Amino acid sequence: MLSPERMARALIVGPREKLESVIGTLHDMKLIHLVDHEGEDDTFGIGKPLPPAAELSDSLLKLRSIANILAVKAPPKEIEAVRLDQLRERILSLELGITDEDAARKKAESLLGDLDRRIEELEPFAALGLPLSAYRGYETVAVVVGRVAREISEVDLGDVPAEIFQASGIVAVFTTKDSLDRLLHVLGQFGFAQIDIPAGEADPKELLDAALADREKWRTRLEEFRGRLETLREKYAAFVVAAEELLEVEVDKAEAPLRFAVSDHTFVIDGWVPEKRFHAIAFPLEAEGMYVESEHSQAEHEEPDPPVLLRNPKPVKPFEFLIHLYSTPSYRELDPTLFLFIAAPFFFGFMVGDVGYGALFMALGAFAIAKLKPTSIWFRLFFVTAVGGLWSVLLGLLVFGEAFGLPFHPAPGHLEELSWERFGIFVPMQAVIHKAFGIGDMIYLSILFAAFHLGFGYVFGFVNEMRHNKKYALAKLGWLACLFGLFTLLTFSLAIRPSPNRIALWVWDTPLGWFPRAIQSELSAFVGLKIPLASLILIFGAFLGLTESIIAPIEIASLLANVMSYARLAGIGIGKAAIAAAFNAAILEGFVLSGQIVLIIVGIVFLVLAQVLVFFLGWISAGIQALRLNYVEAFLKFYKGNGTPFRPFGARGTQEV
Amino acid sequence: MADPLAAMAAALSIAGTGIATAWAQKVVGGATVGAMAEKPELFGRGLVLMALPETIVVFGLVLGLQLLSKVAGP
Repeated sequence: MLSPERMARALIVGPREKLESVIGTLHDMKLIHLVDHEGEDDTFGIGKPLPPAAELSDSLLKLRSIANILAVKAPPKEIEAVRLDQLRERILSLELGITDEDAARKKAESLLGDLDRRIEELEPFAALGLPLSAYRGYETVAVVVGRVAREISEVDLGDVPAEIFQASGIVAVFTTKDSLDRLLHVLGQFGFAQIDIPAGEADPKELLDAALADREKWRTRLEEFRGRLETLREKYAAFVVAAEELLEVEVDKAEAPLRFAVSDHTFVIDGWVPEKRFHAIAFPLEAEGMYVESEHSQAEHEEPDPPVLLRNPKPVKPFEFLIHLYSTPSYRELDPTLFLFIAAPFFFGFMVGDVGYGALFMALGAFAIAKLKPTSIWFRLFFVTAVGGLWSVLLGLLVFGEAFGLPFHPAPGHLEELSWERFGIFVPMQAVIHKAFGIGDMIYLSILFAAFHLGFGYVFGFVNEMRHNKKYALAKLGWLACLFGLFTLLTFSLAIRPSPNRIALWVWDTPLGWFPRAIQSELSAFVGLKIPLASLILIFGAFLGLTESIIAPIEIASLLANVMSYARLAGIGIGKAAIAAAFNAAILEGFVLSGQIVLIIVGIVFLVLAQVLVFFLGWISAGIQALRLNYVEAFLKFYKGNGTPFRPFGARGTQEV
Repeated sequence: MADPLAAMAAALSIAGTGIATAWAQKVVGGATVGAMAEKPELFGRGLVLMALPETIVVFGLVLGLQLLSKVAGP
């Protein structure tokens, strides 16, 4: 559970003529993570793809181009059964039919593009009304046509000799060739932007009408082509999807020898197999006459690490994707999935801390279990949330006494506060902490959780380093002591205040009753805070970190920052509850309890919208922060990652064994 | 509320460190998203780098709380 599946190195050696059948067997078993053969020598080189590879890849390429033309995206409802021997023929004939349609469609599209440009070009000239022949063929007269921001008259042009024709926003100016430069200068002041005069002699209006008619005609044609492609898509989508799947598998198999070492008469396949399943792979191959050798990978630190296949019990499994998202664990360290499974949902539940929302999150989980495939990302996401929802219900019921942002009972001394009692619902549970009034308690609890969470992080780190480097392991113990010192110091300072925090006081007196209480008074006077001597000594445990790095003791401050960082648990918990309470108070008092039927209906609509908003806000912020505390604060204490995920030959997509 | 200057100092320590953190995260965040577009497996490391500047505002918070407890305390 805490360490990944143990891997055994498998070497499969056999005669070359059996290569194809061995590939088939391995592909069906989906058990071996291949290690690519590299380099060539006199006897062994990289294998060549099996003979059908070229044709198969070519078919796959054609098929993908067909899928692209037909825009086949989602897999259709029913998948057609396809046979490999008929595949090539069907693909070729389909390609023939489709490429013609596609070429016709592309031609129509490009023609339409040309027509659009032509129409855009002609429109201003059609508006001016002069035949195109009027714009050219002069010896001394120059013509400029362009767009202007406003109408201009001959007066505007001053002493430039000119004749002006204009329509809305368009102007054509005739002048002498000598005055052209001056004219352009003057026109520039009116925001004149010159446009080219189209070729031809005829009346632009007629040309425009012809182009518009053409465009209409081609649009209808394009619709026809598209319609035909649409029919083709409906007819062949199932085939295309099924064939693509089959071909991908076949190409995968045919190209597999590229990863093997092959000599004139033999082949060698190198890979990793889960140790427990080694026999499952060895027996059938040995029955075929192959030689299978296993090498157990423990001591050799020289060779690359084996791939990592996490093994966790079923409820923890969906959390694995959160670990891979961060980084796949290395083969030689503890798998932190269980750590995350306990901490992240608990933090989530603490931040949401509400029976109502928690129940909704659990309903999402129930939906996922009933309706979704366990491999889908939504299943995992909903499942992870639902575990958080479970904590949220428990904490909401037993600690915070709250549902949908509304407390079960008003807080003592705040009897005017809205609560479920107002609606005649009396929950026997009493809140231990009222979120709105227990800020100190919430912050102290955050510090407590930080101590546990980071403490376990250091324990994990200690175990990891023990396998690796004893000096670093010692440093982890030092940091654990330092963390404990900081924790006792914080607990002490909150417990001895004139108005002590009740939880801190209890922790200081009961679980920490054994902790030495001596205070070094000179030092306390110097720092300005009372510091228990034992805490101080523990904090200096960080100096064991010197074995790790020379600057390690400076990190005491960042450990303190890590602990304070958990205050976000309290912050988001209170913040989310406050938003919900504000919505509830405003809507319930303003609308729902007003007694007027219309206002009540409007109020209920508002209330549902507001609750949905708070629900999603809580989901996103609590979810992200719960993960972040694990990824950043805790994982940095022990987790290195950078492993290679186990990808068995033959498996598609995610890991499966 | 005893000393308004101390209260203002607390507010300033939060505001200043908050702005500093935001600025640092803006720089780191932009670079991280860029790097992740190239190599999605950098998510873990990016997230850690992204969170580092938060230390600044946490120290601001501690300082602010210390100042306030001096003001409000006996």
